[in-house]
Amino acid sequence: MKHYDIIVIGAGNGGLTAAATLVNKGKNVLLLERHNIPGGCATSFCRGRFEFEVALHQLSGMGTPAKPGPLRSTLQRLGVLDQLEPIPMEDLFRLIIPGQIDMTLKPDRADIIRTLQKRFPDEKTSIETFFDLTYNFFTQVISVMYLNDPEATPDKYPLYFKYALKSAKEVLDSLFQDPLLKTLLSPYWTYIGLPPSKMAFTELAAMFFAFIEFLPFHLKGGSQTLSNAIADKIIERGGDIRFNCGVKKIIVQDNQVKGVITDTDEVIYTNWIVSNASKVATYIDLIGSEHIPQSVVKELKKSTLTQSAFTVYLGLECKPEAIGMTAATNFLFPHTDMEAVYERMKHREITDQDALVLSCYNLADQSFSPPGTCQVAIVTLKYGDTWLTVPPSQYAAEKYRVADAMIRVAEKAFPNIKNYIEEIEIATPLTHLRYLNHPKGSVYGFEHFIKNSELFIPNISHIKGLYGAGGSYGLCGFQPTLDSGVLTASKLLKDMGA
Amino acid sequence: MNEKILKQLEGYETVKADMETAEKYGADFNSEKGKVLEYIHRLHPATMRLKVSRIIQETPSAKTFRLVSQDGYLPPFQAGQYISIIFDISEIRTSRPFSISSSPTQTGYYDITVRRVENGLVSNYLLDTVKNGDTFESSGPCGTFVFNPIIHDSTMVCIAGGSGITPFMSMIREITDCGLDRTVYLFYGNRELKDIIFHEELTRISNDFLNIFYIPVIENVSKDFTGACGLITSQLLNDTLKKHSNKSFFLCGPQGMYDFCLPQLDHLGIPKRKIRQEVYGPSVDIFDYPGWPKEIKKKDTFKISVKGRSAIKAAAGDSLLSSLEKNKILVPSICRSGGCSMCRVKVLSGKVFQPAGVPVRASDKQFGYVHSCMSFPVEDLEILV
Repeated sequence: MKHYDIIVIGAGNGGLTAAATLVNKGKNVLLLERHNIPGGCATSFCRGRFEFEVALHQLSGMGTPAKPGPLRSTLQRLGVLDQLEPIPMEDLFRLIIPGQIDMTLKPDRADIIRTLQKRFPDEKTSIETFFDLTYNFFTQVISVMYLNDPEATPDKYPLYFKYALKSAKEVLDSLFQDPLLKTLLSPYWTYIGLPPSKMAFTELAAMFFAFIEFLPFHLKGGSQTLSNAIADKIIERGGDIRFNCGVKKIIVQDNQVKGVITDTDEVIYTNWIVSNASKVATYIDLIGSEHIPQSVVKELKKSTLTQSAFTVYLGLECKPEAIGMTAATNFLFPHTDMEAVYERMKHREITDQDALVLSCYNLADQSFSPPGTCQVAIVTLKYGDTWLTVPPSQYAAEKYRVADAMIRVAEKAFPNIKNYIEEIEIATPLTHLRYLNHPKGSVYGFEHFIKNSELFIPNISHIKGLYGAGGSYGLCGFQPTLDSGVLTASKLLKDMGA
Repeated sequence: MNEKILKQLEGYETVKADMETAEKYGADFNSEKGKVLEYIHRLHPATMRLKVSRIIQETPSAKTFRLVSQDGYLPPFQAGQYISIIFDISEIRTSRPFSISSSPTQTGYYDITVRRVENGLVSNYLLDTVKNGDTFESSGPCGTFVFNPIIHDSTMVCIAGGSGITPFMSMIREITDCGLDRTVYLFYGNRELKDIIFHEELTRISNDFLNIFYIPVIENVSKDFTGACGLITSQLLNDTLKKHSNKSFFLCGPQGMYDFCLPQLDHLGIPKRKIRQEVYGPSVDIFDYPGWPKEIKKKDTFKISVKGRSAIKAAAGDSLLSSLEKNKILVPSICRSGGCSMCRVKVLSGKVFQPAGVPVRASDKQFGYVHSCMSFPVEDLEILV
């Protein structure tokens, strides 16, 4: 009878850091992964002479060796930092609204303020106020939420108590007049999938704070390097990893996990499980309705799935400058009405009314593709439902049609892309559904409304011995999911009495 | 966070009301049970159960096997894609990829067309043993050797060698079935006239359709053949095509054909992005491959320890994948040409030889993940599957 102290299901970011944390504490850990490599979203693939990064746009929280960020410290503790070559990105982002604005911001607070003040002289003071507020507020967030100050009161943390539940839009509207300026200060809403009116100001502040203080990073070799490095550390420290080994059932008895059944019907016993599968897959598919606690049903009812994504990966036989690409991260927006852009995400079609994010890592790392070439990933968020209704027989044609439309939109800001395409791969919401096993191909877990934040739905264990890590158990993105594995593993260890 | 603090947050009541509404009207996700697999299965089933419904003798050395689904559903495919069929031959479970030669408009069956390969374990088994009604397990359709309307010119120059005709047959059949606005120049190289698969059908199609040009090229000159002789040279391409701009080039055939034809295209000044080639199995005898360590001979064997399982013996020159298969250790595999990455394994210690051009990712090189179909042990190994 096979038995492990702990079984981790899924080698995505959260599963990897959870397993690595547990192995570091000397636990006997088995990590099960249905694919033949670790990483989940944090991966890449080859076409021709190109290797395409799948998911990592800008890694937050890294910081430099001189001024390390929280993620750098986490990776150091996991023992993988020396395997990685993090490369800071020169730009925060470039934002283009054709005919209205084309501005590149640097990840430097004073520089951003100067640049914005020059363009929006009438709102000079508010610009200063916004960044003061963002920083001061986020410092209080750190004290209350991350450091868990038990003495938190409105008197001690006035900004926290005032702004914790405010939307980004409420804050932007209270300070600024010009819609262009508001848009420049909130393109990161596309990183969580909710427009400024629905996104928590906390999230916006967190992103500005993390990217400015600790710079946006790219990893040499792409995010797969990080996944491989963590997996190596798990193996090196005595953990077991099984690739090509999916789980089809989590065995639960009397609200206590007992083990798992693999895709090949092998039963492996344990009393402690960390699931890095989505919350829906974990409870609905792996555990089954007869064992779902009421508290989880309640949580699920409060939750809705985020968008999936439509992505075109391009390997171009030209240098970035040939198509006017000057920054690694680019937001191409149709106008300043982000509510209208959000509505577009409910339609399959891509038109000049959609918002696109274009990443060209060659601008962070010249060696990212062969000499004389570059690669560009163009992504836009789309709800999965828009693609679930496409008849299978029309799927390929539809994929080409929509990708072609997307490239034409991108060409409005980056002309002649099409003339240089050597390799192209298209990922639809169905592609994400297939590779991530997330319902409706959701890429960011559950929608991150304020009511769904960790304040109201903390990542706790509802079935004895069962813990969750990854994007559907809290925040999405690389830094948060990597963190979630470490945090959940620490909780598990504490409950274990270890 | 404790309730006491939460309640003091500005706007708490509104969020609380939001939550109560959601709890009342929200979905519990039970309807999503099994849905992900169901959607995947419509397009990319992990496995399919197929049955041979008809066998067509194409040439003395080639047959087409018409495959129907045992459970009634065949997913759509794009002309040029292939399936990987699993075989149990002499107690060894292995797989081989076959491009589908029938048209994607034929939704009732997939045709695969197989030509005899000297000492080819699987091709001989198919041609000599398989009969109507036999069943197989296979992968879903996959592969990227397809016409992509976004980047490919509507005039396709297709260069085929031997059984490399199969993906082009599917493309040409689709074009003529659907009346697609596409022009094809098919250069089809074979040793002898009798080796040409689909010769009659291609001749007929090119007579009937103004947009399909069929140029068979025979290596060994014979007097009953009046067409092009020799190899597919830049001269022949130039004479036939006149102009090369606004044309996309597609190649499918054995390694020898790529080695010869790619420099011809280069000579004509065709840019890389206009050329697409299908992966086509392990190329040559690995012992002759440039860079192969000469001191390792055919009689050598290596010990391969599979972590958590037993150790096996591998003969030099056998790919890691086939050594594992011979010892009943199953690793998923699809293209068996290094391209699809399904057969990845992690080498924990020891060295393998990997032929050039296998698309292995930068981080995989750093951390020892290899495509086992195109990795050949040159030392004792420890691997993780």
